[in-house]
Amino acid sequence: MIQLLRIELYKIFKRPRTYISFGIVTAITFVIQLAMLTDGKGFVNFALSGVNEQFDIQGNILNGYLITYIILQSLLIHIPLLVALVAGDSLAGEANLGTLRLLLTKPISRAKIVLMKFLSSFIYTVILIVWLAVVALFFSLLLFGKGDMINLKSDAFVMILQSDVMWRYGLAFAFAVLAMTTIASMSLLLSAYADNSIGPIIATMGIVVVLTILSNLELPLFTVIKPYLFTTHMIGWKGFFDDPVPYAAIGRSAIVLVLYTVGFLTATILYFNKKDIKS
Amino acid sequence: MRKYIGLLIVILTLNVSVSRADDATKLFYTLRSKILTVKDYTADVNMKIDVSFMRIPKLRGTLYFKSPNKMRLERHGGLSMLPKKNINLTISNLIPAGAVTVIDLGNVMVKGKKLRLVKVIPEDDNNNIVLTKVWIDEANLLAVRAETTTRNDGTVIMDLEFGNYITYALPDKVTIYMDVKDYKLPKGVTMDYNNETPTVAVKDKTAKAQKGTIEISYLKYAINTGLTDAAFN
Repeated sequence: MIQLLRIELYKIFKRPRTYISFGIVTAITFVIQLAMLTDGKGFVNFALSGVNEQFDIQGNILNGYLITYIILQSLLIHIPLLVALVAGDSLAGEANLGTLRLLLTKPISRAKIVLMKFLSSFIYTVILIVWLAVVALFFSLLLFGKGDMINLKSDAFVMILQSDVMWRYGLAFAFAVLAMTTIASMSLLLSAYADNSIGPIIATMGIVVVLTILSNLELPLFTVIKPYLFTTHMIGWKGFFDDPVPYAAIGRSAIVLVLYTVGFLTATILYFNKKDIKS
Repeated sequence: MRKYIGLLIVILTLNVSVSRADDATKLFYTLRSKILTVKDYTADVNMKIDVSFMRIPKLRGTLYFKSPNKMRLERHGGLSMLPKKNINLTISNLIPAGAVTVIDLGNVMVKGKKLRLVKVIPEDDNNNIVLTKVWIDEANLLAVRAETTTRNDGTVIMDLEFGNYITYALPDKVTIYMDVKDYKLPKGVTMDYNNETPTVAVKDKTAKAQKGTIEISYLKYAINTGLTDAAFN
């Protein structure tokens, strides 16, 4: 099993395109940091206009913690694509190259192969999120310094003391890993159906985009289905920056994401076990 | 004879009310002079902001004040929040400056304590303060409560509790009740996590929702140390 996992990880990290994801994460992070360095005050003044009317807020508002939050908010929309680049390629890519049949000739069950592919995609996801955490948090703190963090919600202004922030980021990144693992499992399922990796990657992004729109539309028609969409729960990491932290709601979101992940993985194994491998 | 007695009663009543009004005016001016003896102070404070749309932890910091209206909260690297300058957190800014008309509203009992209630109207029409009601502890010459109606910032009520710094009329604890406007950002911008639990703002959509409370506990004062304007930059 370990040997199989090693091989899968070797396949992932041998390919140059895997590192494109890390490059994209770094580039977007630096672009946001640069934008905030040059025009961050205007952005903050605009965002805080409702509060500034009534209160004078002094101090380093535009600090590393706030910048990391903004980066995380924008990157978690792009990261599903980067996860799909690897997970969507794991079965379909091999089918495309013709190595899948060769792999299945080995005395390993198909279920184990799927599980190892999922596990390797999960490890890649963890590394990607850790990289995001390092680049976003470390460089933002380096460039913008520390300070109390503000979180603007549609109906509330939340302030978190700087001594109370880091554990929230730890849990938020852990939750982001869970959310991206759901994407990886979905991408793996789509990958099982395809014979080239472009299809699963595009399909993953299509599903994420459509469901994200549905999750964010404030229309009664979608209110009923919203709680059942995994995209509604993917932003559960934001709950850690609320006060008090809505642990029950975050727990529910985590359960939904785990159920989706298990569901996608089970479906992948069931389908892949019966799949007629022609390439 | 009955006519003369009636006239005497009227004269006496008028005399008493004029005398009380003079007395109240004198009391107010004496109180104001006492309050204004504090030119500046530095104080270690604990601040609690309770506004329906705000979730702010208890803030600890150093509050700098310089008469007449300079104020700054320093939080040693953290963010500081104060109401806009014209709603100052000090009593000297909630009672009108300059010439005023004082109306005596008599004695009232507040929390078992007899207080003198006076209404103060500034004579300057351009003053931001329209009217102030001050509850005065005559024995100690302290303003225990002030209710100030301003032109631009609604009504501000300040409750003061005194202890160690009674000689300077500086409180140990101040509670300010102020009007706050509603706060709203589009959900499309904030992309809220819908946690299905009502937020504080939603829970408080009652009559209290438009009122904010700021509670400041003064732990230690350094009074009239000659603070310069540089401390407020």
